[in-house]
Amino acid sequence: MLTAAFVCVVSLALFWMAAFTLWWQMHAWRTPETLAATRFAPPRDKGSLSFSLLVPARHEQAVLEHTVTRLLESTHADYEVLVVVGHDDPGTTEVAERVAARAPGRVRVIVDTHEKKNKPKALNTALPHCRGDVVGVFDAEDQVHPELLSHVDHAFRETGADVVQGGVQLINFHSSWYSLRNCLEYFFWFRSRLHLHAAKGFIPLGGNTVFVRTGVLREAGGWDPHCLAEDCDLGVRLSSRGKRVVVAYDSEMVTREETPGSLMCLLKQRTRWNQGFLQVYRKRDWRQLPTLAQRMLARYTLMTPFFQAFTGIIVPLNIAVALFLDVPAGIAVVTFLPAVTMLVTFVFEIVGLHDFGAQYGLRVRLVHYLKLVAGGPFYQLLLAGAAVRAVWREQRGQGDWELTRHVGAHLAQEPVREGVAR
Amino acid sequence: MTSTIPTAQPLPEAAPPASPAPSAGPSRLRHSRPDLLLCGGLLTAILLVQGWNITGFPALSDDEGTYLAQAWSVQEGRGLAHYTYWYDHPPLGWLQMALVTWLPAAVSPGLMAVAPMRCAMLLVSAASAVLLYVLARRLGLRPWAAGLAMGLFGLSPLSVVLQREIFLDNIAVMWVLLAFCLAASPRRHLWHHFGAGLAAAVAVLTKETMLVVLPALLVTMWQHSHRATRKFAVTGAVTACGLTGLTYPLFALLNHELVPGPGHVSLWDGITYQMSRPGSGFLLDEGSGAHAALRSWLYYDRVLPLGGLAAAVLLVAAWRWSAAARPPAGPALAVLLLTAMALRPSGYLPAMYVIQALPFLALALAGSVHALSHVVRGEEGSGGRTRRRRVVVGSGVTAAVALAGVLVVPHWYDANRTALTTDANAPYRAAHAWMSDRTHVPDPARTRVLTDDALWLDLVHAGYRPGTGAIWFYKADLDPAVARTLPRGWRDVDYVVASPTVRRDAATLPLVRAALEHSRAVVSFGEGEDRVEIRRIDRRDRDTP
Repeated sequence: MLTAAFVCVVSLALFWMAAFTLWWQMHAWRTPETLAATRFAPPRDKGSLSFSLLVPARHEQAVLEHTVTRLLESTHADYEVLVVVGHDDPGTTEVAERVAARAPGRVRVIVDTHEKKNKPKALNTALPHCRGDVVGVFDAEDQVHPELLSHVDHAFRETGADVVQGGVQLINFHSSWYSLRNCLEYFFWFRSRLHLHAAKGFIPLGGNTVFVRTGVLREAGGWDPHCLAEDCDLGVRLSSRGKRVVVAYDSEMVTREETPGSLMCLLKQRTRWNQGFLQVYRKRDWRQLPTLAQRMLARYTLMTPFFQAFTGIIVPLNIAVALFLDVPAGIAVVTFLPAVTMLVTFVFEIVGLHDFGAQYGLRVRLVHYLKLVAGGPFYQLLLAGAAVRAVWREQRGQGDWELTRHVGAHLAQEPVREGVAR
Repeated sequence: MTSTIPTAQPLPEAAPPASPAPSAGPSRLRHSRPDLLLCGGLLTAILLVQGWNITGFPALSDDEGTYLAQAWSVQEGRGLAHYTYWYDHPPLGWLQMALVTWLPAAVSPGLMAVAPMRCAMLLVSAASAVLLYVLARRLGLRPWAAGLAMGLFGLSPLSVVLQREIFLDNIAVMWVLLAFCLAASPRRHLWHHFGAGLAAAVAVLTKETMLVVLPALLVTMWQHSHRATRKFAVTGAVTACGLTGLTYPLFALLNHELVPGPGHVSLWDGITYQMSRPGSGFLLDEGSGAHAALRSWLYYDRVLPLGGLAAAVLLVAAWRWSAAARPPAGPALAVLLLTAMALRPSGYLPAMYVIQALPFLALALAGSVHALSHVVRGEEGSGGRTRRRRVVVGSGVTAAVALAGVLVVPHWYDANRTALTTDANAPYRAAHAWMSDRTHVPDPARTRVLTDDALWLDLVHAGYRPGTGAIWFYKADLDPAVARTLPRGWRDVDYVVASPTVRRDAATLPLVRAALEHSRAVVSFGEGEDRVEIRRIDRRDRDTP
């Protein structure tokens, strides 16, 4: 009897967690009107704001030139590119200097001399040098659409926003089974979930294609140099202070990226994010959010990696209990609720993959759908592993930056498609 | 009617505006005074007509007793049925009934009998009627047309008779109407469509024959979803429906009763039985059982079944060239599907089969009248339509409506007056009173009675032991667990309450037949075929081996 009650409680808790996550994940597709509202409004002019685009680059000599060259193709009139390199990284510095020499006035190189380096420190180093009204952040491997700045400019002016988050999309879904899932994660996050966060007034920002009014950023003291998820932290701090954040997603306008090159890299990256989320949670900035619903959303979102890990372990256990222990059939049906919700999530992921393919003009084959389904449990395992690893590292005070290396898979294998059919 | 005119086209395929301003949205319906007045007025009329004399007419049916007894069994914690549950139907129908009747049954256990609990069906009828109105409005019908649908559905003598009875079909209809309403949600909300899938699954788990209607639901959802979000909405709905539906086999699996095996019932056996039930013949074949069912429906009302069917054919046929015919085409398709199913010569056609079709018939009829009114008013079709032709068509339609009124109203009046005044259940009540009287049966707890399902709960409340004292008559022959308690066959039985059902089915039940032969009528209530006899097993016969 006690077992039955316990199993029921756990199952229902898991069910609600999974249901809420699913609800939020599907936010953008709730109604046709919601979906239409997630897009950039088309700009009517070339823009009137000025931009300072920060590109922190560390050991990125392979991709940096391509990225900056592409940034320089922007149709916007008024912007500058600040490449931030380390004083101990001559390879990247050389590439950066070369590009800067080709576009004097547009591109500047900022040297970060911190002894221990990480992304927030690099960004903070560049912040005083920014001359634009708006600071934008891009990673060294990003492919940025030439018209993005005009759209962002328009979004700032039309909505009066303090922050505009653009879409980021991993594209190389065909590289491996985990990159497929990784791409889809990004798709659901930037296509859908972030819009919900923007609407609710609590948002963990993304690491790039994020634009902040320079004054607001300076007032907030820039990025937290000790946080492993400085992007998320910035979003939480700004939204907790009531700053208005707008998210816009347009498959033509997204910044294209690549997935981590190996499973280990992905694990490290995810560990870093999870640890970062944990740090943000413990910094308690989110407690200043005005409403209880917002605070609950913040609490839940920042703890999500750990809920995910928990769910991944408990759901199979739960089914085992239902099938092999002698519990009443009614209770056993309850234990299947979380699994059923996961199945629904799976199905929506399959539809999401189809939509992803349609949006980006990519050919998604049957084998990819099969990989998506078959890879699900293993990816769950990976997420659980990263969550456990993050807690472990945080407990032991290991706060150093595990960098993700980029090989440019998305550049070589996936030619940039302009104006893909939707 | 040559060109497609987008006047009544509710599905703009272009990117919608960002502002949520759908036409005829739920909030609008909820706050629209004419809608509320019309719907409320009709609802009152329906409840009055269906509720008045609900315990007296029609005669208590065996099936009502079956489901209510199983609901009672759930309430009493005896499982899904007081005899072995053998997967004859999914149990969700009487689980809901158990939930709804739980409070009255807790207050007064005697209320948990067929006649009083028919009142619970009023709730179901009311919900279904309101849902039908909402659905009609969501499908673009004007208030008068939606009211027409609701009136046809709730006040047709056929509906009045069938919706009063405790049938799983009535509950399933309520859920499927909810599913249609959600599928036609004006907000085209993902989770409304998901909910439509859930409601559809509940409908099927309430009465499995609802499966037939699901394609029509899918069509309705497809029509009412937006291109941009359709794949998520429709997939979500199908998933929700499928996964919820799978709980039934899962339940069987968890009970180790999914597949046949020695010493236990199984879902597989239950389905095999239902699929292999002897067919009731071709519907249009005069001598068949299916035709008898059809005749019994047409006896109560011809307008709704025949008019509705004709209207459904018209709506589906007009799909291509009439914009006004398109929105109610989903429900019209449901009518056609149900008709096709009924026309299978090998299929088994129960008398309550028509219940599932009633709302769709009403909607098809009202929808086609609505579409015709569009044509008459010149809102549809443009080229060459002159004012004079419109007048001609208009007066033709008016004449047809008037004629229909002349034909319908007197018949409906007579049939509904019968429903409101006839007491068909006096024999049952008298039999119940006699069996409860201790001067006739001094010790009910030690008395064994073969009875039909309709009276069974009354006997249980009168003190007979459920299952082995008060015995569903056919279980004595068909359920090994019951037969074991009657080692000497009919000799172990004390009484038979011989209702029309018992006399009819005894032909195929040896033990029951023997019990009837070796008993004599102690008392008889009612006249002729409908009489209910109480027969006592002959003492002398009994003691001779």
